[in-house]
Parts: sequence; C-alpha cells; structure tokens
Amino acid sequence: VTLKEQIRANRWRTLWLLLLFTLLVGVLGGILALVFDLSILIVVAIVAFVYALFSWLASGRIVAAVTGAKPADRAQYPRLYHVLETVAIAAGLPQTPPVYVIDDPAPNAFAAGRSPKTAYVAVTTGLLNLMDERELEGVLAHELSHVRNRDVRLMTLVAVLVGVIALISDFMLRIAIWGGGKRGGGWAGIVALALGIAALVIAPIAGVLIQLAVSRRREYLADASAAEITGDGEGLALALRKLQQDTQQTRHAPRAVAHMFIESPLNQASGLRSSFRSLFETHPPLEDRIRALEDSGGFRLAA
Amino acid sequence: VVLWIVLAAVGAAVLLFLILTFNRLVRLRNEAETGWANIDVQLRRRTDLVPNLVATVQAYAAHEAETFQRVTEARAAAQLASTPAAAAQADVQLGGALNRLIAVSEAYPQLRASENFLALQQELADIEDKLAAARRYYNQTVYRFNTVQQSFPGVLVARPLGFHEREFFGTDEREPVNVTFTAAERA
Repeated sequence: VTLKEQIRANRWRTLWLLLLFTLLVGVLGGILALVFDLSILIVVAIVAFVYALFSWLASGRIVAAVTGAKPADRAQYPRLYHVLETVAIAAGLPQTPPVYVIDDPAPNAFAAGRSPKTAYVAVTTGLLNLMDERELEGVLAHELSHVRNRDVRLMTLVAVLVGVIALISDFMLRIAIWGGGKRGGGWAGIVALALGIAALVIAPIAGVLIQLAVSRRREYLADASAAEITGDGEGLALALRKLQQDTQQTRHAPRAVAHMFIESPLNQASGLRSSFRSLFETHPPLEDRIRALEDSGGFRLAA
Repeated sequence: VVLWIVLAAVGAAVLLFLILTFNRLVRLRNEAETGWANIDVQLRRRTDLVPNLVATVQAYAAHEAETFQRVTEARAAAQLASTPAAAAQADVQLGGALNRLIAVSEAYPQLRASENFLALQQELADIEDKLAAARRYYNQTVYRFNTVQQSFPGVLVARPLGFHEREFFGTDEREPVNVTFTAAERA
C-alpha cells in the first residue's frame, strides 16, 4: 500500500460515511413526516438550524479555554517554533499557525480552528519533554495535516449534525409521548407511532457511531498525510510508539474535544479491546496506526 | 430531439470537464507559487546572513581570504539567479562555499566559542531545515502540476488555457550545509 493509496482510500471512506449520515437524517425526517404534523416539523427544523449555527460559530473559542492552553513564548520554546515553522513550510500552509502550550505532564497535542487561516496548534509540556526533534516533527505534521485537510471543520460539522439529530429526537420524543400524533386511532396509527419512536431512539446512537467512525478515518488520513509532508513516516511511528508506552492521562480533555488530540486523551482499556468497544473510540488503536505507517513507509520499528 | 439532448449532454460534460481542469490547474499553480515564495524567503534570509557570517569569521581567521572570496562570489551569483533551476544551481554553489567556510572555522577554537558565531550557525541550521522543507513541498507540487499538464485530458487544455510547466528547484540529492553542534550548543 503506498501513501497515495492510503490517502485516497481514507478520503473515500469519509465520503461514504458522510453519505450514510445524510441518509440517516433523510430517513429520520421521512419517518417523522409520516407520523407527525408538518407544522411541528418546521418549527423543529428552525430550532435545529439555529442550534447548529450557534455551535458552529462558538466551537473554536471554547476549546482553548476548556483545555487550559496558553500561547507559547518563542524565547521559552525555540525548538517547538523551529520544528513547527519547518513543518508548516513543508505542508505548504499559507502561514505558521499560532501555537499554544498546555501545562500537563501527559504527552498529547491537538489542532483547532475551522480554516487554515484561523487554525492553531497546542501541545502539552509532557510532549515537549518526551519527544526528540524528529518525533516532534511527526506529531506536528500530524496536527497540521488535520488543519490542511480541514478536519477540524469536518469534525465540527459532524458534531453539529449529531447534536441536531439528538435535539430533534429529544424534541419529537416528548411530543410523541404527550400526544402529538396526527393519526387518531387504529392499529396503523399505533404501528406508525411505535416506528417513529424507535427511529427517534436509534437515530442519535447511529449518529454518534458514524461520527466516531469519521473521526478514526481522519486519524489514519492525518498520519498518512504527515508521512507525506515530512517524508519520514518512521519519525511519526516512533512518536506514536512513545505515546503508546506512556500511561499518563491528559487532564483537561473532556469527551467533546477528544477527537482533536493526536492520541485519545480518554481512558482506554487496553488489552481487552473488543470490537464492540472499539466502535466507541475516537481514535484507532495506536498499534494499528503504527502498522499503517510501517506498511506505507516500508520500515519496521524494533519491537 | 434525442440527438439534441445527447449533444447538449455532451456539451455540458465538456464544459464541466473544462471548468474542473481549469480550477485544478489554478489551484496547483497557486500552491506552486506559495512553495516558491517559501523557498525564496529562505534563500533571501541566507544571502542576508552571509556578510555577517563572513565578517565574524574574518575577525578570527583573517588568512582565509580565498574562502571568503568564494562565499562572496557565490552569494552575488545567488542574488542574480531568477529562475528556479538557476537559483538551485546557485544554491549548490553557495552551499558548497559555506560548507568550506564552516570547515575552515573548525581550526579556530576562539571563533567556535564566540557567541555571535554560534548564533549565526544556529540561524544557518534553521534556514537549512526550512529550505529543505520548502524544496520538498515545492517539488512535490510542481510534479503534480506538470503531471496534470502532460497526461491525457489535461494535455489538451493546459496550453490553450495559458498554463506552462514549472521548473523544479534542484534535486533532492543536494548536499545540505553541515552545521555541527555539540549537545550543549543545541540547547
């Protein structure tokens, strides 16, 4: 598998998942239209749209506050700036994004911001202490790939859609329970209502599962792009290996921003990772990511 | 009537293809220009740094006139180079001359200990890394830009639409300027 093929395959999978998402929203809407009044639906759609717009606009600012990231001082972190600027040039970004440091011994990093112009990168002090220059280059290339591939925008969009589905479901479920069905009686009405309620319960869960699948896809994509940017997939693989061996947990990283980090900041039960559990992860297992890098780069890390 | 519909469909397809190819070429051309601007910034930083570096070394090692001459000449040539290929060639010359200058400086412990010299070397190393990064990005982009223009559907429209292939910036085998640091200096 070459790097180019990996990148292409990951793009296609994202596209499929997004189609699936649209289908989900469509089916949900269709079922609701059958069961409920149109006027209620329109009201719900407007509320959902306003909600979506609000979370879209507010999302960028919240992240830095939540994680406690502070702007990095150039004199204090010359190595960080040197590597970041070099990688930004290699990635062909219009300018080097601002960089933040999070005072946290657990090594981790994330990128945020909706477009390459407003994006910023954040790293923990633990990451800076743990990684040598080559590994740091891999990690920052991974983060800048998220920026360049507009992943932050994509994931924000997906998160907003999930929120909208949840909102609709919640809303309609209440209406259904308190009696808003448009068909008065008869078996057909009851069946339709049951179907509607079932759809309302299942849809949010399906939405979250697709969201997580998109997130995992983009991690693989960012790894492959990072290898392309630096021309050194092994450096990133070495960094991932170090992250794997590290057991500290990032402190200020709530679930809502988990998908943005290079390594899942959440508590992962390693060893007993069933396929069911992995459905709920924002990141693929580090072993799998290292293997993908090895396959495309034609190298093997020493065990 | 069927014939007209078919013709309209074909026309629409051709138009769509034209628009897509045109946009793709414009995007690649812009990316290549960004890449070239990045290279240019680093080359400029280095030509700006050279007089300072020469003056610093001269203060400690006045006898190496021939080396200074080579560096100064290579710098002048680099400033004149305008096309990517010429700039790449000048860059190789200047790189070689700088390598020689650094090698010469090894023989002067006082020079090596001077703070000014260390700072200049630090900056030279920074420029080298960024230049390598910029070259990789630029050459990758030019490769894609040229490939679109040379391969089948693109080859029909690139020229008429006013696109021209771009020159690469040297080869990836170019020898970097070797700035050596001890661990303490790096920190």
